[in-house]
Amino acid sequence: MAMFSQNPVLNGPNYSFADVPVQDHVDGFREHRFNPYTDNGGSTLAIAGKDFAIMAGDTRLTAGYSINTRFSPKVFKIGGSTSTQDDANILLSVVGFAADGEALKERLDSICKMYRYRHNKPMSVSACAKRLSTIMYQRRFFPYYVYAILGGLDEDGAGAVYSYDPVGSYEREQCRAGGAAASLIMPFLDNQVNFKNQYIPGSGVGHALQERERQPLPRDEVEVLVKDAFDSAVERHIEVGDGLQMMIITQNGIEEKILPLKKD
Amino acid sequence: MDTLVARYSRPAAQRETFADDQHDDLHDDTTNSMSLKFAIPPIAQPSAWLRAATDDRANPQCPIKIAHGTTTLAFRFQGGIIVATDSRATAGNWIASQTVKKVIEINNCLLGTMAGGAADCQYWLAWLGMQCRLHELRHKRRISVAAASKILANLVYQYKGMGLSMGTMCAGVTKEEGPALYYIDSDGTRLAGNLFCVGSGQTFAYGVLDAEYRYDLSEEEALALGSRSILAATHRDAYSGGFINLYHVKEDGWVKHGFSDTNPIFWKTKLESGEFTNVTSDFVGERV
Amino acid sequence: MRGATVLKASDDKTRQLNKNTLMAYSGEAGDTVQFAEYIQANAQLYSMRNETDLSPSALANYVRGELATSLRSRKPYNVNLLLGGVDPITHKPSLFWLDYLASLAPVPYAAHGYAQYYCLSILDKHHSPGISLGEGIKLLEMCTDELKRRMPIDFKGMTVKAVTKNGIVDIEFNDDKIVKCA
Repeated sequence: MAMFSQNPVLNGPNYSFADVPVQDHVDGFREHRFNPYTDNGGSTLAIAGKDFAIMAGDTRLTAGYSINTRFSPKVFKIGGSTSTQDDANILLSVVGFAADGEALKERLDSICKMYRYRHNKPMSVSACAKRLSTIMYQRRFFPYYVYAILGGLDEDGAGAVYSYDPVGSYEREQCRAGGAAASLIMPFLDNQVNFKNQYIPGSGVGHALQERERQPLPRDEVEVLVKDAFDSAVERHIEVGDGLQMMIITQNGIEEKILPLKKD
Repeated sequence: MDTLVARYSRPAAQRETFADDQHDDLHDDTTNSMSLKFAIPPIAQPSAWLRAATDDRANPQCPIKIAHGTTTLAFRFQGGIIVATDSRATAGNWIASQTVKKVIEINNCLLGTMAGGAADCQYWLAWLGMQCRLHELRHKRRISVAAASKILANLVYQYKGMGLSMGTMCAGVTKEEGPALYYIDSDGTRLAGNLFCVGSGQTFAYGVLDAEYRYDLSEEEALALGSRSILAATHRDAYSGGFINLYHVKEDGWVKHGFSDTNPIFWKTKLESGEFTNVTSDFVGERV
Repeated sequence: MRGATVLKASDDKTRQLNKNTLMAYSGEAGDTVQFAEYIQANAQLYSMRNETDLSPSALANYVRGELATSLRSRKPYNVNLLLGGVDPITHKPSLFWLDYLASLAPVPYAAHGYAQYYCLSILDKHHSPGISLGEGIKLLEMCTDELKRRMPIDFKGMTVKAVTKNGIVDIEFNDDKIVKCA
């Protein structure tokens, strides 16, 4: 029983060393017992194309070294008129603390639904992006421990991806990776989507090299890129694996694909 | 008047409590998304907790990494105000983004800059934009830069000690003030001045800027100096880099002068002007 | 400086190692002078025994070795150095940056401590290898002006010396100029 107790006075001094209550630090700052967060691992990825956007996430949910479930989707449809979200026009991916992610998703979805009910039209992606930023900033002093990415089609029908930090600073980008394997996937994306550090062969030497011109990638190529990115992340990160959920938003609506990833 | 006094007699942060959060703003009107209701953790020392959870420097193992901004500068000269920034955002050692827009367009004649917490600057400068628009609607004329910067300084001062982190400059040109430049930070400091550099690369930018700054700079010289000062900072400060974001503020509004990659600019500067002699272009260091 | 008091305003923080090599130091009180004079003595001993001076690069590498040995001792020297000289044979000028962790780097221009943050960007922009002594002093003046302008402490003036192929010369340097922020 003592191992569950936070109070040694009630149970006698029979705790193991690791359970000794932490004293105030010598420097005077306090160690805080209030810790409402855990990291549930996983990784997300979004890429914007000329007339589509792809949002993807693995489906593993971890806590420490345990895998709690192999299928817990991280990408959600937002702002449909019903709970089936058949007519949704926006995608949200969340990674970090799953409970905060869920709360954030529910909140954004209800706001988008309310907007649709009041204005009798779906919210534009740019408006939703700004709104998500303010929602996250409302918790500036008690943040959602979430790295969010929002995706959809902009007013011109082009793919749009917005990425966020946990307190709501945001930016529209061509591509973004979030979560545990962000540092593995993002450099790959810089190279393969934005052609960073790719130069035209024979255009010169050293700093005279000419950069390869950026051009939007076709959808089938991007889908392969996403799968490759996750396959690589699974090889080198323990918190990523099991399944790959991909949502592709186009003029014709949202398509969902679930692909297998390695399960070890 | 009484309501006005009541509004300012207590810090905004204490006005709303944790209990009345969440659901109500679904039913409120459109202004709610910018209301000053912030969720506060239900503990005795929210700011100490927030610091432990988010402050990278106080606690390198902190779970939540907040994106931070870096080198920004602005200076007044005869032709208006030059505003220039880099574009790198870092969270610890991780470069979170190389394409951040650190010049925030408050409206078509006022600019703000971003250093410190990216979200803090983005949110509060957007909020300031709203206040400026309200001022225009109420008074039928544009707000002065002095007034706008004071609104922001008063606001952040209300949140002093709660963990906001921002170092921002407000730049604008009005008929009454001419080119006006203010520095505001999250401590509550508000200063008018001719030139400011803010962020971890500030000293490097100051070095180049101070040496050649004059009020009677031509427009071309001023733009070049602003850009070169940011380049200096990106070269010596690891937390700065990416692109140089350059703006010129005039009385009839601001003009953007590009968002340009530092790498080619660095090589062009080095090879054409013979600067940066500490870098060898043949990539072979001299032997000791 | 001792505590919060300036003990002497015109302390020479350099030591001449031989006819054409000069070493400037900063760091912990006591360590600095002890270490610099130890190096100076050994450099002079070498010159006397061999009737030839060591080159600046040879000295720099020797100093680095001493710092590296010291670093692994019970009480390491806490000294940061700049070592400048003109090679007595080739007449090539060289400058070396060393810190108390025994890093050694040959550089075209250098600074230690807070001065780095204020001056390196100026030097990046205005230095070129072909500058004359006069232009060098102008450049130094730009740096000290910036330090006066922006550094929150008063460093009480500068000692300026130049190493030329004819030996080391003291340079008159105007400290009294008052610089104000723009």
